[in-house]
Amino acid sequence: MNLVEKILARASGRESVSAGDVVVAEVDRLVMHDLSAYLTGKVYDERVGVDLPYPDRVVTVFDHHFSPPTEHQADVLNRNREWARRRGTQLFDCGSGNIHNVLVQHGLALPGQIVVGSDSHTPVHGAVGALAVALGNDSHAGTVMPFGKAWFRVPELIQIELTGELRPGTTPRDVALWLVKELGEGSVIYKALEFTGPFIKGLDFWDRWLFPVLCVDLGAKCGYIEPDEVTRAFVESLPNGSVDRLVNGDGDPVEDVRRFDVGDLPPQVAAPPTVGNVHPVDDVVGTPVQWAELGGHGGGRLEDFILAAKVLRGRRIHPDVKLNLVPGNREVFRQALELGIVADLHEAGGTWFPPSTGSNQTANMGAMSAGEAMISTHSRNFPGRNGSTEASMYLASALTVAASAVAGRIADPRRYVSEGNPHE
Amino acid sequence: MSEFVTRFEGRCWTFGANIPTDALVKSAYVFDPMEEIVKHVLEDHNPRFPLEVQPGDIVVAGHHFGQSSGRAIAAKALKATGIGCVVSNAFSRTFYRNVFEIGLPSLEVPDATDLVDDGDHVVVDIAEGLFRNETRGVERRVPSASPFLLRMLEAGGLIALTQSDPNWAEAARA
Repeated sequence: MNLVEKILARASGRESVSAGDVVVAEVDRLVMHDLSAYLTGKVYDERVGVDLPYPDRVVTVFDHHFSPPTEHQADVLNRNREWARRRGTQLFDCGSGNIHNVLVQHGLALPGQIVVGSDSHTPVHGAVGALAVALGNDSHAGTVMPFGKAWFRVPELIQIELTGELRPGTTPRDVALWLVKELGEGSVIYKALEFTGPFIKGLDFWDRWLFPVLCVDLGAKCGYIEPDEVTRAFVESLPNGSVDRLVNGDGDPVEDVRRFDVGDLPPQVAAPPTVGNVHPVDDVVGTPVQWAELGGHGGGRLEDFILAAKVLRGRRIHPDVKLNLVPGNREVFRQALELGIVADLHEAGGTWFPPSTGSNQTANMGAMSAGEAMISTHSRNFPGRNGSTEASMYLASALTVAASAVAGRIADPRRYVSEGNPHE
Repeated sequence: MSEFVTRFEGRCWTFGANIPTDALVKSAYVFDPMEEIVKHVLEDHNPRFPLEVQPGDIVVAGHHFGQSSGRAIAAKALKATGIGCVVSNAFSRTFYRNVFEIGLPSLEVPDATDLVDDGDHVVVDIAEGLFRNETRGVERRVPSASPFLLRMLEAGGLIALTQSDPNWAEAARA
């Protein structure tokens, strides 16, 4: 059995499972954000309403709001707080960070666990070797909350094997963006993806994080990286971090293997209207941007701010650009502070925002007027998601975002990396 | 419990590929009452749809329908338009879960959108796995959904299933 099958077999009390089986399995963690918690809580109260047998398994993170801008939004958050108190579930309030960066940083998504959530990027927790799947509200309200269980169809496995060493200026985020184009949006619906190969194995935990987060765009059910020494070291550094339930697949041969060499890859940019519209940066260089943002599911990691600082230390952003800096969780901000990066990026003209999911869905920030454009580390670029349907969202690496913030238009980060920085 | 209807017949409304849940229910409307939400379903792709859709009509959508967010309210809003069932070349996987969980009949037909024009008269049988375009005289036979999912649909959705059958978790083993 592979990792997904082993986890599902153990959690459903079976000897073995195979692709196509429908199983009902014990769930370790349900994570919701401020928007999904409201809808799910409402369905639960109206249609189910029994006491939760496992309230600790349910976690809500307020990440779309760090400070509600309207009375209506304040009401929604207050109802979520009241619900969490009444039901005894865990709550991370405004200012905690992005839903998934908060969950993993607190040791609440661990190897071998089953993690479910309403947020479509929930599969990101496959980075620790969890089986992490996005479900709908009725699964959460109907079976996860009252029974601690959910139904799953056992998925077929595809291996994505990546080799090669990146050239200066190209980052793991560029590889991740490019993979969506290469594999194709919605190309692997219902499948499980194992990201593997020397390139993946050579990455630190937080760079591995950028791969299972792609599952939703590819249509996959879940994605993971086989837990190894990198995983163990990361998990053991966390509060409550435990590898007790860590599972590895048996390494059986996989029929469908997709192999890619990423060694020659230039920096990549996903242009509107979808995440699969990915181009080498050269194709879009010169496009004016008024906004640049480091944050969201594809950014907000300490690594992103370190990369941005390589470009921005000793430089100033373009006067037409506003640079939003949104840490993925409070730990990221603390570490950025200790490394002097908070001051560096502030001096460069950037603005630090509270830990949150930033401009994702424009709940608290990030609306654009017709004709405006943003380049960011976010994970979505559908027109209308950030204000006007005539505004544009470009997705790129932290290096490209930072270089573009300096240039006032989309810029090739290799120029900034190879020139070096005279002030460094 | 009312009779479990698995056969549907009506006017079809066609939609393209990769339509996200945001197009079914925009983020701006998620907290509104369903009577309001339903007035905007798929309006960006066909403004006539929410105004003119009739009970029993059939939506036929392209590849990866309902991608993006997993929010069930997108499936609930589509059901609230009164359509009989929804057909797609391939549903996004969260949307596929959600249509069964909220009790909206559905069928996957890999080339469905090649077989119909908007306004055609179509017949769908989700238990038999039948998709027929009466206007053009073409049909497809496809696998029906798993028995567990059909049972969920028959019960009226996932929550109804768990409340009507204490052994619901065992049903998956059957």
